[in-house]
Amino acid sequence: MRQELIEQLGNIAKIILTLAAALLLGAVIMWATGQDALNAYQVLWDSAVGNQRNIANTLLAATPIIMTGMATLIAFRAGIFNIGVEGSLYVGAFAAAYVGFTFVTAPGWILIPACLLAGGLVGGLWGFIPGVLKARLRVDEVVTTLLLNYVAILLTSYLVTGPFLVPGMANAMSAEIAEQAQLPRLIERSQLNAGFFIALASVVWVGFTIRRLTLGYEIRTVGSNPVFARWSGIPVGRVIMQVMFISGFIGGIAGAVQVMGVNYRFIGGFSRGLGFDGITVALLGRNTPIGTMLAALFFGGLRNGGSTMEMFTQVPRDLVDILQAVIILFVAIDLTLTWTRLRRRSSGPGSDAKAQVEAQPAEATS
Amino acid sequence: MHQAPTRHHDVHLWADRCVGLLACAILYGYLTVPDFRPQPMTHLRTENLTKTFPGGVIANNRVDFAVETGEIHALVGENGAGKSTLMNMLYGLVKPDSGHIFYNEAPVTISTPQKAISMGIGMVHQHFQLVPSLTVAENVALGYEKKRGGLFVDRQNTAAVVRQLSQEYGLQVDPSERLGGLSVGEQQRVEILKVLYREAQLLILDEPSAVLTPQEVEDLFEVLRRLAASGRTVIFITHKLNEVMALCQRATVLRGGEVVGTVDVADTNTEQLAEMMVGRSIERVTTTADAKPQTEAKLILREVSATDDQQLPALVDINLTLYSGEIVGVAGVEGNGQSELIQVIAGLRQPTSGDVVMGLQRLNDLSRRERRLQGLSLIPEDRNEQGLSKDMAIWENVVVTRYNTDEFTGQGGVMHIGKVKQFAQGLIELFSVRTPNSNVQVRNLSGGNAQKVVIARETAQQPNVFIAAQPTRGLDVGAAQFVHEKLLEIREKGAGVLLISADLDELLALADRIVVMYEGRIVGRLARGEATREKLGLLMTGSSPS
Repeated sequence: MRQELIEQLGNIAKIILTLAAALLLGAVIMWATGQDALNAYQVLWDSAVGNQRNIANTLLAATPIIMTGMATLIAFRAGIFNIGVEGSLYVGAFAAAYVGFTFVTAPGWILIPACLLAGGLVGGLWGFIPGVLKARLRVDEVVTTLLLNYVAILLTSYLVTGPFLVPGMANAMSAEIAEQAQLPRLIERSQLNAGFFIALASVVWVGFTIRRLTLGYEIRTVGSNPVFARWSGIPVGRVIMQVMFISGFIGGIAGAVQVMGVNYRFIGGFSRGLGFDGITVALLGRNTPIGTMLAALFFGGLRNGGSTMEMFTQVPRDLVDILQAVIILFVAIDLTLTWTRLRRRSSGPGSDAKAQVEAQPAEATS
Repeated sequence: MHQAPTRHHDVHLWADRCVGLLACAILYGYLTVPDFRPQPMTHLRTENLTKTFPGGVIANNRVDFAVETGEIHALVGENGAGKSTLMNMLYGLVKPDSGHIFYNEAPVTISTPQKAISMGIGMVHQHFQLVPSLTVAENVALGYEKKRGGLFVDRQNTAAVVRQLSQEYGLQVDPSERLGGLSVGEQQRVEILKVLYREAQLLILDEPSAVLTPQEVEDLFEVLRRLAASGRTVIFITHKLNEVMALCQRATVLRGGEVVGTVDVADTNTEQLAEMMVGRSIERVTTTADAKPQTEAKLILREVSATDDQQLPALVDINLTLYSGEIVGVAGVEGNGQSELIQVIAGLRQPTSGDVVMGLQRLNDLSRRERRLQGLSLIPEDRNEQGLSKDMAIWENVVVTRYNTDEFTGQGGVMHIGKVKQFAQGLIELFSVRTPNSNVQVRNLSGGNAQKVVIARETAQQPNVFIAAQPTRGLDVGAAQFVHEKLLEIREKGAGVLLISADLDELLALADRIVVMYEGRIVGRLARGEATREKLGLLMTGSSPS
């Protein structure tokens, strides 16, 4: 028990160090370009959590990232590197918008679930395709999911510039969804909406699934040793397809929530990497639902604060991208070390496997 | 008056010269004639070496261990006795908590394997660390290539050095061949060459004979004797006591992380060593009562053929019936279809023709899970990969074949984790798995305890058919005996047991009848009384006994 506690504290320390290092590097860059870093961070902080409205906007920015984080995390847990959540998000968003602007006469209590479900199902199917390819034909999911992202982005852009173009609109966007399909706003002067609760629900659901459901047990087993899972009778292919569907489903809901809560219509290219942010937060949150959610809230703060910071200081909001990149770098380094250490353990000599437990990370680099 | 001091001076001069010359001669001899030079008698020594792993497992407790230059020194002990931990500390893979290491009597800190290599310590791991797509020479030199102009790899020079080393020590292997095509024995030679290429003076071999055929073991011993004769020191880790007797000069026995003692092999015998290892007298071979005659067929293989991963025939018209209450041994040199046989029965490989029938059910169309639920139990060959998930807890490992039954899963697919842990705790106690609780990762268990987890899972329900593949490989005497007792118990309760083993003694002691596989066919069927090592050996190598 004490060991576990120490390990947990170590993980938290790692995350804090990572964030601190990123902020420090950002400060160095600002100083080097003659900016007042402390002031910039002050503004960033204030505009992220300074008052109720800023907090609301931070939660708003975090909402889709929480969900794409959950979508990524559950696939990671099964050992599947799904980087196609972005694609699911786009097709899910479009499907939700389509239902929302087509069935305008339906009452809200039908239309809202219908939009969400449409977004989830279409996003899920989008994830299911690479899932089937991997499970049945052993096609590498990294390639297929990455490429399907472009298909999804371009396909939806085509749909709103072609068949579903609204006459009189200059930009690639669909018609507005019915008013009763729009998610209620939570406070005044902010776009924060009920979608945030859907995001929280996804955290609870993913956490419960992984820890308590047989499906979660299967996911963890397949993720930790697929050979063992196969020999023991776990239908590995089915689990892979299920997980990819679920991952895409959550990603699709994330897209639907953006349409129903923020934009009220599908806008071509609206996401700009929300799906990829999900990968970052899942990694930063060390593949745990709570950790990932906290990381997503942090990123939401950065995104929200970054735009205000740009207005009030000379620092462009690209700084936020730099911070994010540095964080990814640190997380990647940590992952590489962990991976090397794991590999070393499992391929280590001797029948006393425990002897390998304490190989030092520093050695692994040499 | 004038000459005397000069003469006196001359005498002194000559005396000085003589002393000088003598000193030179002594120094010359000292430096050139090896036997003249006082050898550091102790090559490597540890003092009070202690290592505790997270979770409080004391892997090594105040270990004093010494090897003399030029000897072959056996390190024996049960699984979890701390052999690998000790060697990993000497190789810089694990950092000791306290204690000292002396190399040629000088205190050293070995922080990384690179440090160990530069000091002259080489390790041949049980699991080879080789690159299949590179040639033998490239593998040997990997990371330590001879350079030309400080930038380019000098292939010819490297290959020449490898060839010379392989001839010098009788390590027959072609330097230009790709590693992927080599047999296990040849790969091991490459590993030894790699260590020699890095100019190791002290070689640590971790259970090197476990993967070899008897003839390859003999070849290995010859190589090791030559290495020792050339002044190198060999630490030989093993479970097989007859190998200690055949090869080593001295043996150090570890038990529970502590040194029980170091003995001269000439003054001891296998019984004494075994007793030191397990701390009690043990029977050499498990004895078995004859099986009760049974007529109920548990598993029938009818004309089963299958191909391997390269689509080459691996099983050819296998006919085999397994009756309840008997143990059928499968003998054969590894790679003659045993793995494919297991996979076909367990459902990991589809037969190209023929039927597999369990009880009254044709298995061919059943999923792996359905077969398990119908009473098929299995100890896979590679328990660390196929039989266990080392990063998961014990409770997660024991429930893998039945987690979705009503016993452990309620409505909506919610697992009763409390019940599973209770179930796991029961098995831990029943099989006396050494662990504080069922939340411990299997990674932290010793080999014997890990195998207990597999057996506990597979026998938790009475099986119809029990397949045990290499069930005691890598286990110490005590753990192996435990496994044997369990197999007999399973047989007594009426299951049909199929025992696939490379250990002929194990087959002869346990099996009620033995079938021999050679090139995917069953080439011999011997009843309990008529099977002998000699007959089996001939059949296994493809010749028929006259």
